[in-house]
Amino acid sequence: MRSVLNKILTAMRGSVNELGEAVVDSQGNRILEQELRDSEQELKQAKQELAALMAESASLARQIRSEQDSANKREQDARKALTAGQEELAREVAERIVGHERRGSELTQTREILQQRIAGLKERVQRAEKQLADYRRELQVVKTNERVLRTTAQIDTNINSQQSSLSTAKETLERIRERQAREEDRQTASATLEKELTGADLDEKLKAAGIDGEQDAIDSVLARLKDKPAQ
Amino acid sequence: MDIQTLTLTLGDSTHAGRTFDVMPIVGEEPVLQVTVSGAEETPVYVTVTDTQILCLAYLFEEQELLPQRVNELHENMLRLSVPMPLSSLGKTGDHYVVYGALSPTSGTAEIMQELVTLAENAIDLLQTFEDYLA
Repeated sequence: MRSVLNKILTAMRGSVNELGEAVVDSQGNRILEQELRDSEQELKQAKQELAALMAESASLARQIRSEQDSANKREQDARKALTAGQEELAREVAERIVGHERRGSELTQTREILQQRIAGLKERVQRAEKQLADYRRELQVVKTNERVLRTTAQIDTNINSQQSSLSTAKETLERIRERQAREEDRQTASATLEKELTGADLDEKLKAAGIDGEQDAIDSVLARLKDKPAQ
Repeated sequence: MDIQTLTLTLGDSTHAGRTFDVMPIVGEEPVLQVTVSGAEETPVYVTVTDTQILCLAYLFEEQELLPQRVNELHENMLRLSVPMPLSSLGKTGDHYVVYGALSPTSGTAEIMQELVTLAENAIDLLQTFEDYLA
């Protein structure tokens, strides 16, 4: 990832950015995409192999258990034969037990080797998955970067074909200020209109002229109270 | 969400009291110019890729800046980029931009919210950084 980011930065500092030319050349892109496909393929194979090995290991575990069960069962048989004084028969059963135990331990060995291969393969799958995520992230950065450059180049061409040039930030700011002033005027006008409609403006004028309805009312109540003092 | 759907939807929608004027930008890439009512001065450009919906507005160009104050401006842009809602500051070519990226699965409401926020942020940023212009 770091190499991709560095490539982009290096190219950006150069002169290629004006036309939105591919910053990482399309050849580089194809290589990245090929690497991605290879990783995907490797991951798929590793997973298939892993599944097969795990199935084999499970089957071996089943066989080992079966040999152990048989050996256990025969051991009981042998004990019974010994109790019944059938030494010969017990020996024959013991031979069977040895057979089961030998097969059991052979299978266990095979399974242990298999388990090691499974562990190794699991590690490979994890590595491949991480690698794949890295490639995808890199490719996304590269593609997004190209897209942004192409898009801005397209916007600029378009704006330039409609106007003599792209308007400068100062011109934009001027237009913003004009609109904001218009909006303010509109707000002031509508506030004035509202005052007129509710009579609030008249009250303000009367107050300014020293004619205050509220004050008059208070004064008249006070006068009334003074006329009729408490008994 | 693709560009065609977006064009049709935005043209007929209002969001937070805003309307949207949509104009496709001719060219190889699918790009829309969206003008948000009440913030007409800073159109937002929208492009849709497999992985994101990218919305961006232009602020100013490198050559418009006071060269001796560029470092200070960069510092301030980096600081403001974090708290600014739904938008980040960046540079593409010579253009300084304010931009936001959305998931391609975003709905119309999210996209409209982004467009309105971006257009308003662009105006606020231009006014904030006016002193850095030559």
